[in-house]
Amino acid sequence: MNTKVSIAGVEFKNPVITASGTFGFGTEYEKFYDISVLGGICTKGVTREKRNGNPSPRIAETPSGMLNAVGLQNPGVDRFVEEDMPFLEKKNLVTIVNIAGSCEDDYLYVAERVNETNAQMVEMNISCPNVKAGGMAFGIKPESVFKITQQVRKVCKKPLIVKLSPNVSDITENARAAQDGGADAVSLINTLTGMAIDRFARKPVLANVTGGLSGPCVKPIALRMVSQVYNSIEIPIIGLGGIMTAADVLEFMIAGATAVQVGSANIFDPMAAFNIVNELTKEMECCKISDVNEIIGSLILP
Amino acid sequence: MKDYTVEVTENKKIADGLYELTFASTDCGFEGLHCGKFLHMEVPGKLLRRPFCLYKFSETSISVAYAVVGDGTRNMTFLKRGDRLKVTLPLGNGWNLEEKHKKIVLLGGGVGCAPLAYVPVSYPNRKYYAYLGFADKSKVAFEHEFALRSEKVVCTTDNGSYGVKGFPTQALEKDLKEINPDAILVCGPRPMLKAAARFSLEHNIPAYASTEERMGCGVGACLVCACAVKQKDSGTVMKRACADGPVFGLEELIL
Repeated sequence: MNTKVSIAGVEFKNPVITASGTFGFGTEYEKFYDISVLGGICTKGVTREKRNGNPSPRIAETPSGMLNAVGLQNPGVDRFVEEDMPFLEKKNLVTIVNIAGSCEDDYLYVAERVNETNAQMVEMNISCPNVKAGGMAFGIKPESVFKITQQVRKVCKKPLIVKLSPNVSDITENARAAQDGGADAVSLINTLTGMAIDRFARKPVLANVTGGLSGPCVKPIALRMVSQVYNSIEIPIIGLGGIMTAADVLEFMIAGATAVQVGSANIFDPMAAFNIVNELTKEMECCKISDVNEIIGSLILP
Repeated sequence: MKDYTVEVTENKKIADGLYELTFASTDCGFEGLHCGKFLHMEVPGKLLRRPFCLYKFSETSISVAYAVVGDGTRNMTFLKRGDRLKVTLPLGNGWNLEEKHKKIVLLGGGVGCAPLAYVPVSYPNRKYYAYLGFADKSKVAFEHEFALRSEKVVCTTDNGSYGVKGFPTQALEKDLKEINPDAILVCGPRPMLKAAARFSLEHNIPAYASTEERMGCGVGACLVCACAVKQKDSGTVMKRACADGPVFGLEELIL
C-alpha cells in the first residue's frame, strides 16, 4: 500500500503534516511519540523579531471547534535557526518553516535566514487573522497575494507554499494569484475570523476580541474551498481545516489535496497526528485504495 | 508525561458547586506524580481538554477537585463510576521546596486549596500552617485534608458563616510574625496572590503561586496559556502556564 506523496519534488512518506501553530517546533510532541512517523511538520510561524503575542485569554471553546488569538508569539527567526532547527534537522520528516511578518522586508529577511537551514520547504503565512499589521492584510486582495508571493519567490531558495485565508470573497482568485506569483503549492484554509461572547460580563471571551476559528466545525467549508481551488489552479494543494481522523484525510485528498495538515486535533489530543498516521492504511483498505495518489481530486460530481 | 486512559471510580459533591473526581489507570500505574503538577483531561461533550491540579494521588489513583464554572465542568458532574476518559499527566513543574524551607504557609482560596493539599505528603517532616478561604459555609471543603498534616488550619468565610470572618490573607497577616515561615505557597484569586506578594516583599519570605490560564494543548506547544513574567535583563517575557509553570515565583509574576 502506498502512502507516499510528493509536492514540488519534496517526498513525504505519508500525506500527514502537522499544521503551523499547533505543534510548536516538534519537541513537545516528541515526548509522546517519535515525530518521524509524520509526513512532515509545519513550524509555528516565525517572524524577523521575537514576538510576545496577544494578551490572555487567547483561547475559547466554541461548538465543535475553538477560537484562538495567540498573535504569532515566537522567539524570532535568529533564535529559531540556532535553537529549534537543529532538532528538526535530526528527524526523518519534511520540515516546512512557516514564515510571517508585518511588511514585505520582514518576509524577505526571514526567507533568507531559512535558506541557510536544511528545512525542505517554506510556508508563507499571509492569512493570520490575529495580528494587526501584515498577516492577513497581505492575504486578502489577489493583487497583494501576487506581489508578496513574487517578492518572496525571488529570494526563497526552497519550494514555496502560500497559506491562504478563507476570509475572502473568492479564494480561487487568491489561489490563482499565488500560482501566478510563483508559488509551488498552496495550503488552505487558515482559520476563519470569529468571536465568542461572555453573556454575564457582556465582554468578548478573547482579550483580542476576535480570533481564528478552527476544528471540526470548519471542515465542510475547508472541503468546499479545496475542491473549488483544485478546479482553478495547476499547482498542488495542501488541505487543512478540522481534520480529526484518517477518514478526513481521504476526504480532503478526494477534494483535491495532495497532502493535508492536522491542526486543532493536536491541541484536543496529543496523540492525534500519530493516531491519524497509524489509521491511514486501515482506512485506505476500507475504501479499497492501494495508492493515495490515485484519489487526489477524484471527486465525482453529479 | 503520558496519555493515559483512566476509569472513574468516584465523582462526589464535597461542597456547594464543588466536586471531587477520582479515577484509576486502566493499564499501568501513574508515574512521576508530585504535588502542584497538573493533568489535562477529556470532558464529556467538549473538544478541548480541561486542566486540573493534582489534589490527592498515589500510583494507582488520582483525585482532582473541580468547581462548576461553565458547560465543561457542568458536564463533568454527570461522570459516573466506570466511565473512561483520556488524561495526559503529569504536566507542569509543581511545587518545589528547598531543604531550608522548614516552616511553610499554605494559602488557598476556594477550589485553589486543592493543589496545596498534598504538599505535606510530598514533603513530610516539615511544619505546615494552612489558611483557607471560602465565600460562605456552603462552599467550605478540604479542611480535613489539611488538618491531618498541619500544625494549624484557619478557615475563613467572607460573611463569617463558618470559621473566621474575612479573607484568609487577613488572618495570615495577623499570624505571620509569630509563624515566621520560610516559604509561602499560594493558589487562589488575583487579590490573594497580590496580598501574598506583599507579605513576601515586606517580610522577605520567598513565595510561590500556582497560576491559572485558559489552556489549549497543555503540553507547551500552542502558546495559548501565556503568563507575563518579569526577567532580570530583558523586561517582560511570556511564559507558558502549562510547560514553564503552573508554579512561578511570586516576585516574577506580573499581577
